[in-house]
Amino acid sequence: MCGIAGIYAYHYAANAVDRTELQRIRDHMAARGPDGLGEWYSENGRVALGHRRLTIIDLSERGAQPMASADGKLVVTFNGEIYNYRELRASLEAKGRTFRTQTDTEVLLHLYAERGEAMVNDLRGMFAFGLWDAEKGALLLARDPYGIKPLYYADDGWTFRFASQVKALLAGGKVSRDPEPAGWVGFCMFGSVPEPFTTYQEIRALPAGSILWVDCVGTRKTKQYFSIAEIYRNAEAIASSTDDHLRLIAREAVLDSVRHHLVADVPVGAFLSSGIDSGALVGLMRDAGQQEIQTVTLAFEEFRGRSEDEAPLAADVAAQYSTRHSTRIVTEQEFRNDLPKILEVMDQPTIDGLNTWFVSKAARELGLKVAISGLGGDELFGGYPSFRDVPLCVRALAIPGRIPGLGDLSRQLLTRVFAQSVKPKAAGLVKYGGTYPGAYFLRRGLFMPWELAAMIGAETARLGLRRLNLIQHIDALLQPQPRTTFGRIAVLESSLYMRNQLLRDTDWASMAHSLEVRVPLVDAELLSRLAPITARNKSKSKRLLASSPRVPLPAKVVERAKTGFGTPIQDWLQRDKRLQRWRRVPALAVENCTWARRWAFQVAVA
Amino acid sequence: MGEALGISGSRGLTGSAMAESALRVLALVTDAFGGHGGMAQYNRDLISSLAACDWIRDVIVLPWAAAKSVEPLPSGVRQLPPVNGRAGFSFAALRSARAHAPIDVVFCGHLFMAPIAALVSKLLGARLWVQVHGVEAWEELSLLHRRSIEMAALVTSVSRYSRRRLLGWVSIDPTRVKVLPNTVDLRFQPGPKPGYLLERHRLHGRKVLITVSRLASSERYKGHERVIRLLPRVLTEQPNTVYLIIGDGDDRSRLEALAAELGVAETVWFAGSVLSEELPDYYRVADAFVMPSTGEGFGIVFLEAMASGIQVIGGDRDGSRDALCDGALGTLVDPENCEELISAIQAALDHSACTGDRSNRFKRHLFTGYLNTLCQFIWDETVSANAAGRRR
Repeated sequence: MCGIAGIYAYHYAANAVDRTELQRIRDHMAARGPDGLGEWYSENGRVALGHRRLTIIDLSERGAQPMASADGKLVVTFNGEIYNYRELRASLEAKGRTFRTQTDTEVLLHLYAERGEAMVNDLRGMFAFGLWDAEKGALLLARDPYGIKPLYYADDGWTFRFASQVKALLAGGKVSRDPEPAGWVGFCMFGSVPEPFTTYQEIRALPAGSILWVDCVGTRKTKQYFSIAEIYRNAEAIASSTDDHLRLIAREAVLDSVRHHLVADVPVGAFLSSGIDSGALVGLMRDAGQQEIQTVTLAFEEFRGRSEDEAPLAADVAAQYSTRHSTRIVTEQEFRNDLPKILEVMDQPTIDGLNTWFVSKAARELGLKVAISGLGGDELFGGYPSFRDVPLCVRALAIPGRIPGLGDLSRQLLTRVFAQSVKPKAAGLVKYGGTYPGAYFLRRGLFMPWELAAMIGAETARLGLRRLNLIQHIDALLQPQPRTTFGRIAVLESSLYMRNQLLRDTDWASMAHSLEVRVPLVDAELLSRLAPITARNKSKSKRLLASSPRVPLPAKVVERAKTGFGTPIQDWLQRDKRLQRWRRVPALAVENCTWARRWAFQVAVA
Repeated sequence: MGEALGISGSRGLTGSAMAESALRVLALVTDAFGGHGGMAQYNRDLISSLAACDWIRDVIVLPWAAAKSVEPLPSGVRQLPPVNGRAGFSFAALRSARAHAPIDVVFCGHLFMAPIAALVSKLLGARLWVQVHGVEAWEELSLLHRRSIEMAALVTSVSRYSRRRLLGWVSIDPTRVKVLPNTVDLRFQPGPKPGYLLERHRLHGRKVLITVSRLASSERYKGHERVIRLLPRVLTEQPNTVYLIIGDGDDRSRLEALAAELGVAETVWFAGSVLSEELPDYYRVADAFVMPSTGEGFGIVFLEAMASGIQVIGGDRDGSRDALCDGALGTLVDPENCEELISAIQAALDHSACTGDRSNRFKRHLFTGYLNTLCQFIWDETVSANAAGRRR
């Protein structure tokens, strides 16, 4: 896990690369890679790649990046992990390719030489890289199927720049800071900025599961090589399977993913909560043969002795699997101290990520460089209430939702008659509730479109809504549409909430502490093996995961009702005197306003 | 023109492949061959270069404005009689499209024509290529214009700044918006100060600061006033300085009054419009070109000044950045910062003799092979699909 950067002055009128700019971009990401740094420049000075390294595989200097092929024609700067690199290496060696290092980075170079851009289909892992092909005179950017690793780029029409973080690109000093209304609108509506937008017009995210070429004419059109929707669409039910058979398939698939995610030359620890996802993963780490497991759980004094306290159950799980366990207490004072730094390193505005900040901090304090997280379990196994609520909503409102104008009419009537007493989402029920994209938006939405002018100004709201094109934006992610309701919700949760919120927040919050977080439940191979079971066979999916470890999870963990990951952070935020500007906005000052809406406003104006 | 600009297509495709695959372009423009001004110049340069590209068979040009005289056209270019008036031009565009079918690409030379260009391209199943220059693309236009631009397979902008401003209000995939800067006629060359101009304007022994542009009250952003206001301070360091203003317009009297008010009327010389043939000499008679503008789409005059080998000062807030290559080819200043501007002017006048190879460096702005690459881009991204559809 590292920080990558690059500059390509592709236009004939552009100046050669400014080396100090590359260094500024790269070194803004020092926390992503404290163990090493490197830079590479083409002979004509028009291409530059930079790298900050967090050593995890092949700790030697031979693994330094940017890394060039033996003939110097290919150069790569890479962030992430290729979990199947040993298999790929073996097959490449069988074809006569000679390796100089033990890294997954070198595998990328050889694989590209063999397969060209189609190489991305062979990679299992989380990755973002830029690869310069000198013979072709072109730069290839690629990002993993789920978008676990970030990759942002800016093309001003002369020069193309990319980096692992938006703020790193800005730190270079040559990228425009003009705001992107669609990014701000998206943030207000979802609580995170929906890719490919960022809050800056010139900076875009390379979408998950996509590649991008840049050559002498500039940026080419993005090519998508992976689609979660397509996996669910093509998932066929496994015929006449017993529950035991399905459990076996699920266990093998998850164990296989966990085993792959343990590839490292440093110890791999785990975040542990009181839920099924992280607990099952720790059990499977044991099954995969890991002897020493360091686990870490967050706890809060305010929750001691209450049902929200995750520490006791997490300790039970740790005891079950004999891990070296640590419970880290976070206090309000520590939170207050850390808040300015959190807002500083938050790469894009978000309403989440605070818990990941502290658990990553705790893991790093324990000396870990790598930690396993149960992120993705709810999307994969249908753990969210949305899997139940959204289809119900669509069924109930499909017909009224089709009547032209009724949605807008009902919203206007409701807000005029009941004014402040009607919640914004209730007012939008008829307008949005009758379709999957609309109903999902109602479920996850933070602010409704008609509230935005008060938050970000009428002009920004108008331009942003037009460009984001909310319902079409969501619907596009849903194509080709899965046949099952489970599949549809899984696609939406994975492509919006998980990608734009959970994964992105995990990246910035963990990398700020130089910690690599691995997510075995966010894996394309695992998805293709489980989708037929979860989407078509209507199993009690989460139970599949719970029953996967050879030594079962404690019954208390399995039976515990899902409460969500509660923290007292929301109370701390609302009490913090530095975060009271929301009081000036009438819609936020009402008593029943949720903390997330107030926090979103605070983040936006920070 | 193409040759003069150093433009030549490599014609890399083999003969039979060319004949079958090369594209026919219908160019709807304000004016081109026989026209005056920067936009006509740009269109001439672009169309000449297009016609020399590997991927282009020929270019049919339909101008809006009447041309006084049409110079010999480059090979592969045919210019139709001009048609003025919105309805007439629209009708002529449709008629030309039909008469010259099949048209593969419709080139729209100005945003105000975008709706008709979009309609023609839609009716023909051709690809739309829209050109943007400067201020016309900076603020949001009508829904019809916006939708028309969003239909384009390719948008070219003269500068990064205009591109960025356009992308601020048009929802188009940014990968379809490329930058194709202005270029410059090679008649602008360095040389000794022409004696006849030294005589005419009594410039012997004087340091000459020059600005070339219209003096329109709608274009006060160009910054003549800023320079005039600084002249008293410039004169304290360089008492023999003259500020020569080339160009005319309805703002001239205001600027003359300002110069008088500041006591520099004898130092600011308004030369008015000059003969096109004399313009290269006017640049050569100067020591430094200054235009601290805040509203340039690009500023072709910067290139002309650079080609003439004199020092150049421009603003850092607009398309001037592109002309000066972010300061590599001239001095960029914050146009609103008096101290920066005066330092730049004094430095330029102090070092006016040190031209070095500056007159050659502007040559990076020649289109050279980029246009050919751009045409290949259109081909790769869109036209091949279009042609396949038509064959079916």
